[in-house]
Amino acid sequence: MISAIRDKVSLWIDKRTPRQIQTVLKQNNIYILPTRCGWLMLLILVLILVASTNYQNNMGFMTGFIVLAIGLLSVFYTFRNLKGIEVRCHKLAAAFAGDEAVMPLQLVNASQSMRTGIGIGFSKKSVHYVDIDELSQASTELRLVTAKRGWMKVPRMVCTTIFPFGIFEAWSWVRSPYQLLVYPKPIPCPEPLIASKEGIEEGHHVEEGSEDFHSVRDYQPGDSVKQVMWKAYARERGLLSKEFEDHVGEQYSLSWESVAHYDRELAISYLTDAVLQAEESQQVYALRLPHVTIDKGQGMEHMHRCLEALALM
Amino acid sequence: MNVKQLPISRPGVVPLLLAIQAVVLLPLWFHLPSWITATTIGLLLTKWYLNHHQLQAPKWILLVIVLLCVGGVFLQFKTLNGRDAGIGLISLMYGFKLLEAKSYRDASLVLFISFFIVVTAFFYSEAIWMGVYLLITMLLILIGLMVLNSPQGIKGTKKIGKASAITLVQAIPIMVILFFLFPRSSTPLWSMPNDSQAGSGIDDTMAPGSIGALHTFDDIAFRVDFADKVPSNSEMYWRGLVLARFDGFTWHKEEHSPLRGELGLPREATYQYRVQMEPNNRNWIFGLEQLAEAPDGAYLFSDNTWLKRRRVTQRLTYSAQAYNIDFSQQGLSQHQRSIYLQIPDDSNERTKEWAEERRREHGSDEQFVSWILSYIHQNQYHYTLTPQVIEEDTIDGFWFQTQEGFCEHYAGAFVYIMRAAGIPARVVAGYQGGEYNPYGDYFIIRQSDAHAWTEVWLDGEGWRRVDPTAAIHPSRVEEDLRGQTSSRDGWLEEFGGDAMFEPPQGFLQDLALRWDAIQNFWSDTVMGYSKDMQFGWLRQLGIEKNQYRYLGYGLLVTVLLAGLIFGYWVLRATQKLDPVAKQYIKLLTRLKKKGVPCEPSTGPKELLKITRRTSPKLYARVAPAIKTYTSLRYRNKSDSKDLLQRLKRQVAQV
Repeated sequence: MISAIRDKVSLWIDKRTPRQIQTVLKQNNIYILPTRCGWLMLLILVLILVASTNYQNNMGFMTGFIVLAIGLLSVFYTFRNLKGIEVRCHKLAAAFAGDEAVMPLQLVNASQSMRTGIGIGFSKKSVHYVDIDELSQASTELRLVTAKRGWMKVPRMVCTTIFPFGIFEAWSWVRSPYQLLVYPKPIPCPEPLIASKEGIEEGHHVEEGSEDFHSVRDYQPGDSVKQVMWKAYARERGLLSKEFEDHVGEQYSLSWESVAHYDRELAISYLTDAVLQAEESQQVYALRLPHVTIDKGQGMEHMHRCLEALALM
Repeated sequence: MNVKQLPISRPGVVPLLLAIQAVVLLPLWFHLPSWITATTIGLLLTKWYLNHHQLQAPKWILLVIVLLCVGGVFLQFKTLNGRDAGIGLISLMYGFKLLEAKSYRDASLVLFISFFIVVTAFFYSEAIWMGVYLLITMLLILIGLMVLNSPQGIKGTKKIGKASAITLVQAIPIMVILFFLFPRSSTPLWSMPNDSQAGSGIDDTMAPGSIGALHTFDDIAFRVDFADKVPSNSEMYWRGLVLARFDGFTWHKEEHSPLRGELGLPREATYQYRVQMEPNNRNWIFGLEQLAEAPDGAYLFSDNTWLKRRRVTQRLTYSAQAYNIDFSQQGLSQHQRSIYLQIPDDSNERTKEWAEERRREHGSDEQFVSWILSYIHQNQYHYTLTPQVIEEDTIDGFWFQTQEGFCEHYAGAFVYIMRAAGIPARVVAGYQGGEYNPYGDYFIIRQSDAHAWTEVWLDGEGWRRVDPTAAIHPSRVEEDLRGQTSSRDGWLEEFGGDAMFEPPQGFLQDLALRWDAIQNFWSDTVMGYSKDMQFGWLRQLGIEKNQYRYLGYGLLVTVLLAGLIFGYWVLRATQKLDPVAKQYIKLLTRLKKKGVPCEPSTGPKELLKITRRTSPKLYARVAPAIKTYTSLRYRNKSDSKDLLQRLKRQVAQV
């Protein structure tokens, strides 16, 4: 029941909060409610007024009404502290599943009043407070815990403040349009994966060529007759083509086949680890997955392409 | 809110809380039992020490001390729920809460409780300087709240003091309106126990001769303003209580019963007045003679005095009407006669015999009264505030030997002589006279105006006021007392009655009167603001019934109006463009005029691109302006003034 209501509320908030790079906080997206301390102050106000009525103490009434006026004004002060702040979302760097992703954010204060204690976070309970001077901005980072590989939507963020008196909390929801690419969690494979035996054997057959045997894939129309693995065909394993690539240093071919007998997610994790290993030892490597093939290469960009392919498999 | 991000370990938070607590408790320290005062100061110092050395007090020690303190309060007051016991207890707990404060929540609880503790101090005093104290304390609590809610503590904002002051200045008009509109009640919500509190003023016993020196206090007993007519100073007898029973040494209040309903005697209304009485912690209240109808909340008694149901522990305001009462149709019952003729058998024999003899020499009671007064006037009777102490037979001693004293001696001896001569008589205690304050058009009656006079019963006429003290010859009044009040030195003179309208003499007296006028305004109009006054101005507006409903509407309108005003202020203040943004918009409009396809929403980077593509000629001039704009916006702003000037120039050149 309660969770159903919470879901409904969450849906309603999402509907009201478009995903955008720059969100300016203004009266149609700022919400304000008393904090726990605010309710405490109300209780104390009632006590003061009851005591003042009972003892017919006009100084007590004065105190009570100053407290009441402060409470009233606090609504505006707190609202004003948040109003006009612009939250800028930035692209997120990919992270491995289970790791924390870093989400950079900018809070821009284009007004001429300083903003104190502006908090931003994924929930009100975990915000991080910053001060932003007038006509200035503050950069901050949020940590995002990742779980599953693939594209991850950035959860709804909240920008909140209780300044100046902690009686009211004003907040606004912000949603980033950017998605976080979560790479699979790298797990070292119990058996060596780099360069399948078969490939090395086949490579020896063409030792004199300028091309080296790289990997094996299904035969596709247009493949040269020389590429067809006739030995395998003879063993009734279907038509397979050998791939040859330019030889630049040592090279590896990481293929799905080599791990296909493991559990799918585990297999992906093994390949991820292999990619990282290969990159670390500065080798040229290619990645062959059932639907994507990434030609051999090297460098960060190449690695990220491979990891992306694995993440989205 | 994430309170973990706002720990009280931030710089300045705990020292500030300690300072606030000290200021909040300050006025209570003068009223609480000394051990509670000492404990709260000790708690403050302990917290300061612990905070300075980054320590925490062990929980069990705290618990033991808390229990000891609760026990102490119970032993002191024999209860935990009286007013004084409650204030003692809450002050101690307030100190303990700060001592064990570890988090944001503890600190904010301490600050919010401060609001309540401030109010408890006002139960003891509502003087004008307490109003100043209220403002200072409120300012401090606001600063405390701001520091607590600012991530960097006291370092966070330099402007915290100014911001708190602005808050207070904006809160005060709202407070003033709510103060006058909030419905008041004339009766307490629950009955309060009488708190033992020393009161100043007149006692219900009088023992002339036992007091060596009468100290005159300049404390104000009450203030009076008259509706139209003002009696002369010599007529201002402020009746308090009647002392009828004499045990040979002390005069006591008679056991008497309240009159139900009206005093059934013909009377003529004289003066209409309003009394604003300082708390005296007694039941009796004072009125201008003669007293007939009791004000609200008081009873009229058969000896023509008023008594309040409760002790006057708060400032009390009441309106009343003075009368000339015709007692001639009232007889004195046998019982009453015996009360007002009672004198003890075994003392003051000499005076008794003397009185009986002298009475026989005079034809009527009235002649005898006049003769006694002229006897005082012509013989060596002196008025002094420092008479000799008389050990026994005080009246004999005074009348025949010392022949010096103040009003109590004369009143006591006079009534004794009257009774000895068979004339019913009684002592009346109260105040006489008053100082006129031209700045506030009211009279100040001080403790030093306390007076005792007498009433004698004359058959056919009834009670007649006789003031034997006034019969003393002026030359025999102590020099420094002469001129204090006109009554004491002018029995046989004609009363001019205009003495009090003389302009104040001397700068200091002038200043004192002005200051008293301000204080009177504060205590009468502001602190004395009550249901009566509230309903009074409502009546002037034509609202005779459903007053509370109209007050409710007024409150609602006030809150809504305040909301509108401040809402408008909030929206406006942030809509106002800063000068940098103004320049950028100026740049955009200029470029648009020159044919650059840009929108008001175009950002600086985009604008740069568009200009380069569409009008390369302009680009050379636009680029530096945009560069200045971005550095103004997004870099540090140490040289922002120069940069703004440059931006203005560059935009103008485009």
